[in-house]
Amino acid sequence: MSTESTKRSVVVGIFVLLGIIILIAGIFVLGGQQKRFTSTVRLIALFKDVGGLKNGNNVWFSGVKIGTVKRISFVSNSQVEVDMNIEESSKQFIRKDASASISSDGLIGNKIVVISGGTTRQPEVEDGDRLKTTEALSSDQIMATLQENNNNLLKVTNDFKELVGNLRRGKGTVGAVLTDSIVADNFKRAMVNLEKASDNTVRVTGSVAQFAAKLNTKGTLANELVTDTTVFRRLSRAATRFESTVAAADQSVATLRQTSINLNRASDKLNNTNSPLGILLTDKETATNLQVTLRNLSKGTELLNEDLKAAQSNFLLRGFFKKKAKAEAKQKADSTAAATPKP
Amino acid sequence: MQSDANKSQQATGRPVTTRKLDQLFLNLGDVAAFIGRFFQEVFVPPYEFKEIIRQCYEVGYRSLLLISTTGFITGMVFTNQSRPSLSEFGATSWLPSLIAIAVVRALGPLVTALIAAGKVGSSIGAEIGSMNVTEQIDAMEVSGTNPFKFLVVSRVLATSFTIPLLTMYTVFVALIGAFLNVNVNEQTSFTSYIQEVFGAITYLDIFSSVIKSIVFGFTIGMVGCYKGYHSSKGTEGVGKAANSSVVTAMFLVFIEELLSLQIVSAIRGS
Repeated sequence: MSTESTKRSVVVGIFVLLGIIILIAGIFVLGGQQKRFTSTVRLIALFKDVGGLKNGNNVWFSGVKIGTVKRISFVSNSQVEVDMNIEESSKQFIRKDASASISSDGLIGNKIVVISGGTTRQPEVEDGDRLKTTEALSSDQIMATLQENNNNLLKVTNDFKELVGNLRRGKGTVGAVLTDSIVADNFKRAMVNLEKASDNTVRVTGSVAQFAAKLNTKGTLANELVTDTTVFRRLSRAATRFESTVAAADQSVATLRQTSINLNRASDKLNNTNSPLGILLTDKETATNLQVTLRNLSKGTELLNEDLKAAQSNFLLRGFFKKKAKAEAKQKADSTAAATPKP
Repeated sequence: MQSDANKSQQATGRPVTTRKLDQLFLNLGDVAAFIGRFFQEVFVPPYEFKEIIRQCYEVGYRSLLLISTTGFITGMVFTNQSRPSLSEFGATSWLPSLIAIAVVRALGPLVTALIAAGKVGSSIGAEIGSMNVTEQIDAMEVSGTNPFKFLVVSRVLATSFTIPLLTMYTVFVALIGAFLNVNVNEQTSFTSYIQEVFGAITYLDIFSSVIKSIVFGFTIGMVGCYKGYHSSKGTEGVGKAANSSVVTAMFLVFIEELLSLQIVSAIRGS
């Protein structure tokens, strides 16, 4: 009986011990998980909106859990202070210019505080430091933007609906194209024409092919033009000559132009009343004078003629004129004799 | 004591309110007196250590296999049944968290208490009831042994102490069962599973679960003893005592579960 009692006591002792070990192990694993037994530093962040963050939520740095939210409290009507316990071993990697933001663990997961950024120029954080915060987009803000998108989409679909309605009613060019039977007939005709044009194009292409074939046939002018280098040289020389001819023509034209300019100048001078010729040509008074002069000259000439006739009859000059008449008669007889053929 | 009250009521023949309501209040008064007597006796020597250890052996060790098996199956089945709902969201990676919360907060203590109520509560009710029927309790009193201390205090202490331990076992085994299921289906490693499990629960969950289990154990022991102690004479009384101790204990366990949920939620929310 005593042995039975002892055995029972031992079994109960083992049973109790194992139960307590399970409890203590659970407590320690949970403590280790929540970093309850590691030394921590306290960091503070002020947010406008913590979006449902609770005590005990995790704090992440570069995607690694480094602590938990210790306390959440209001400091003013628009600011919430979040106290975080951060592992002391992680402290060295967080710089004073790092910023904290509220995020979530997965799409529909728990809220978390994410510490990010920070430069090595700044010293590491110390106990009680206040981190700057970045306000993340809340789901309300996302929904507001989405609502705006929805409204825009509604407007676009309404416009599209109106557009399709107009098209169905045959309004506008496209609507007419789609609904008007005449336009459709025109379109068909246009298509037929296009087909014909296409056929023509085919024929033209065939002709071009034929021409190209002829071009390749030796002995033809076109082929020689394309292939014979001698013909090409000749043509080249002809072109060069033509060029020089054209250049000479250009020069002649230039000379003619200069001549024309000179003529113009001369003409201008003739028109000018200051020059002697201009006066002669344009001044009426001078013309009148000239006419009078010429009349006088004519009269003078008549008188001089009479005077000369009188001089011929003068004894001083009569012998000269007789000799001259005889010589002329003699010369005339000689020429007549020479022209008559001998029998 | 109850029978005395009933007799006095029958003698006067005039109910204070209605007969049934009077009976209910009389029973409640008896229960309060019974619990009060327990707290009087528990701190007063002599302490029945041997009997307490024997009861711990009977209640705890003897129930261990049954409760462990139940816990294992509970963990495994619960995991399997929860998977389709989570897989609809592609969130089967949350299974360990879900199981941990469910098992630690509710299923562990509740399953343990219900199994214990069925096994231990009925045996206590039947044992004490049969002792009452066979007048062994009266004989103990005559022989100078305090029957209340020997029978009631030892058993209630044993259940209050072992049910929390059994809950620890149940939680442990249920989590192992759930791990096997998760490991087979999601290929989750043990380390990752443990990380997920302990990432989801808090100290409040563990301590509220332990305290709740103590209350459940106390309730089961106290109901079994009360029903046995106040069983009616005759062999039929023993069966009634065993049966009503199980039903009442289970009902009270659910009521306490509901109350504890409210209290823990209030603490968690603050």
